[in-house]
Amino acid sequence: MKQSLIRYLPLLLLALAWEVTARLELVSSTALPSLSDVVRSWFDMIKDGELISNGAASLYRAAAGLALSIVVGTLLGIGMAWWKPVNVIVAPIVEIFYPLPKSALIPVTVIWLGFGDGSKILLIFLGCMLPVTLGAFNGARSSEQVLVWSARSMGASRLRMLWDVVLPSAMPELLNGIRTALALSFILLVSSELIVAQKGFGYLIGFLGANGTYDAMYAVVFSVAFLGFAADRIYLLITKRALAWRE
Amino acid sequence: MARITTDAVPNGLPEKAARLAVSVSWMGARVASVVALLAAWEFVARSGVVTPFQLPALSKVLERIWSDALSGDLALNTAVTLYRAMVGFIIAAVGGVVLGLAMSRSALTRWFFDPIVSIGFPMPKIAFLPVVMLWLGVFDISKITMIVFDAIFPVVAATVIAIQGVERELIWSARNMGAGERELLWQVVLPAALPTIMTGLQVALPLSLIVAVVTEMLMGGYGLGGAMMTASRFANSVGVFAGIVEIAVVGYALVKIMALTRRHLLIWHQEASEPTTA
Amino acid sequence: MPSQCAAELDRRRPLGTHVAMTASAQIVVDRVNHLYRPPRGREVLALDQVSLEVANREFVALLGPSGCGKSTLLYLIGGFLPVETGSILVDGQKVAGPGPDRGIVFQHFALFPWKTVRGNILYGLERQGMTKDEREKRAMDFIELVGLHGFEDSYPSQLSGGMKQRTAIARTLAFDPKILLMDEPFGALDAQTRGLMQIELLRIWQRTPKTVIFVTHDVQEAVFLADRVAVMSARPGRIKTIVDTKFDKNDPDIFKNKFFVEKVDEIWNLVKEEAIKAQGKRT
Repeated sequence: MKQSLIRYLPLLLLALAWEVTARLELVSSTALPSLSDVVRSWFDMIKDGELISNGAASLYRAAAGLALSIVVGTLLGIGMAWWKPVNVIVAPIVEIFYPLPKSALIPVTVIWLGFGDGSKILLIFLGCMLPVTLGAFNGARSSEQVLVWSARSMGASRLRMLWDVVLPSAMPELLNGIRTALALSFILLVSSELIVAQKGFGYLIGFLGANGTYDAMYAVVFSVAFLGFAADRIYLLITKRALAWRE
Repeated sequence: MARITTDAVPNGLPEKAARLAVSVSWMGARVASVVALLAAWEFVARSGVVTPFQLPALSKVLERIWSDALSGDLALNTAVTLYRAMVGFIIAAVGGVVLGLAMSRSALTRWFFDPIVSIGFPMPKIAFLPVVMLWLGVFDISKITMIVFDAIFPVVAATVIAIQGVERELIWSARNMGAGERELLWQVVLPAALPTIMTGLQVALPLSLIVAVVTEMLMGGYGLGGAMMTASRFANSVGVFAGIVEIAVVGYALVKIMALTRRHLLIWHQEASEPTTA
Repeated sequence: MPSQCAAELDRRRPLGTHVAMTASAQIVVDRVNHLYRPPRGREVLALDQVSLEVANREFVALLGPSGCGKSTLLYLIGGFLPVETGSILVDGQKVAGPGPDRGIVFQHFALFPWKTVRGNILYGLERQGMTKDEREKRAMDFIELVGLHGFEDSYPSQLSGGMKQRTAIARTLAFDPKILLMDEPFGALDAQTRGLMQIELLRIWQRTPKTVIFVTHDVQEAVFLADRVAVMSARPGRIKTIVDTKFDKNDPDIFKNKFFVEKVDEIWNLVKEEAIKAQGKRT
């Protein structure tokens, strides 16, 4: 407990510095509303439901896109590692799309599916599929040759081997790929919502900014940033269980 | 790309020829796959299954790119985006390495920045763009600041890990041979840390490009992202697709240049092959 | 005088006074303790009142089970770890840090991977006050000495284990340290290469004799190479006994030589007890 306090103390100091700087008006008070104001408007927005409803809309999109990308990406990645023809066909596509900034797909998804949920979900699905596929692929490939041979010598069929040996071996890399996808989903969510949306975190930030209510804007910015961080930490906690057998 | 785990092939000449034939045929298959993908695009676009608005023909898109190139727009937009991305990247690279170095050497610096780095890493830092815009306006400076803010994290993290990972025995050997503190840093620690630092830079570069494009999409104006946003606003789907292809090509070129630089600088490194699906 | 009695007398002597046992002792380790402080967990006493004297140009092996602190002792003599209790004197001077008078060779070679074989060796010569030509020539001489002619422009990643170790040895020998500290230098090599390297090392040492302190856990290696073998106890490390192993090592059938076999046997029995104790303490 004390360790955590010492570890995160710099953040406390920064928060303090923020409040002091704002109060003393060292920076223009429009550009930097005081921390207490930001916190107050955060509570206001919770109370009147604005933050929750927009937040729910955003999280729904991210979750849907992410879930789809995990399912498809895992199947694709393992398929690529296990069956040569799949690899030959799909791999070059992966190699082409890897360096493409997925955010560049924002306008296209809007063209296809408009301003609403659909375009965001599609964007996140497409963007997050890549790290998941890569993780599944690398994980499946790395399943130790020795383990595979042992299983085969014990008479396991190819399919059985996939389930018993390859999948568990692939888990660490796959879970790591999903972790990357999780962070990416937040980035794509916020990017697309800032640019074009009718509800959600990004939309709310833009709206509040245009309106001039900067303390509320800061509140939402920090909310979504913190959510991204929290999601990552929670994910790590959950997956630590799954990886317990690996030191 | 996928290394076929065949049984060991003996090293005679006919075997060598056979292996070359196999690798060429795989490469041929790869090229064929890409060509097939492009052909499929053209085919589907023309088939009428989707409207030309939803999927403009590849040929139309290429025409548009060509006319952009001729008019100079392509060069202008690419240069503007690259300028922002590269300036941001270089600041993030130098700043990140310096900060990482400082964190490795000074417990106080490490204590102060560690929570910032570890909490900031998984945050969608793009959410702070409106705040940056509030402070710095809508010009290049805010775009570049955002890029630095985003790209510096992987560089710092990689540098800290790299320096911590330098084998104790390398440093001891250098000390044994009479090296002083300064020589130790430049002649031993940094070269030993270089491979991992490079990996961090290889993450930071595409990231710089992404952030540049996104900031342009939000703020409009010149640049590949801005141009694509303009096309989108005018419901010009050919323009949007052209933008995607252009950005993809730029992204691909940057990644390749980075990989070649790595191979050249780290010719001595045993993991000479970079992760190929990356 | 049996070494156990001497040790007892030694322990009763007040710290700070020292009477050299041998007139020409080059290295004097006097009742050194070393406390190992891990980043997490309790401190561990790695060395307990260790005393040792090494004469000029003597080849001494430090032998003991894993974790007995033999490498730690080597690092203390080399100046890589600070001496907190007791003292270590080299040629009458207290050890204050690493330096080119005590060259070290590590088990995992510690070659600079971004430099070629030649580059690695040259690095040690840069501070020796030689001209560029002198340095180049000396580097080539040592490359020849360890049999790596033709590989001077190769990078360590292109070399086999044995070749890497030969480079490491050449690198250290090149700057002509008075004392050679070797930390299980052949431990990372396969058995056959190890055997060849042992013969190489003996040949080089016989040609250009230096003081050598050689850490190993291989009894045969110790008896083959060393003039004296210091057997260490399990943690906390103490010098248990010192056995004299100086005899003619040039017999091609030495491993079957009756005297050799007896010595190995004698030392192995001493080590065996400690090895068993060390196993038990593995936490």
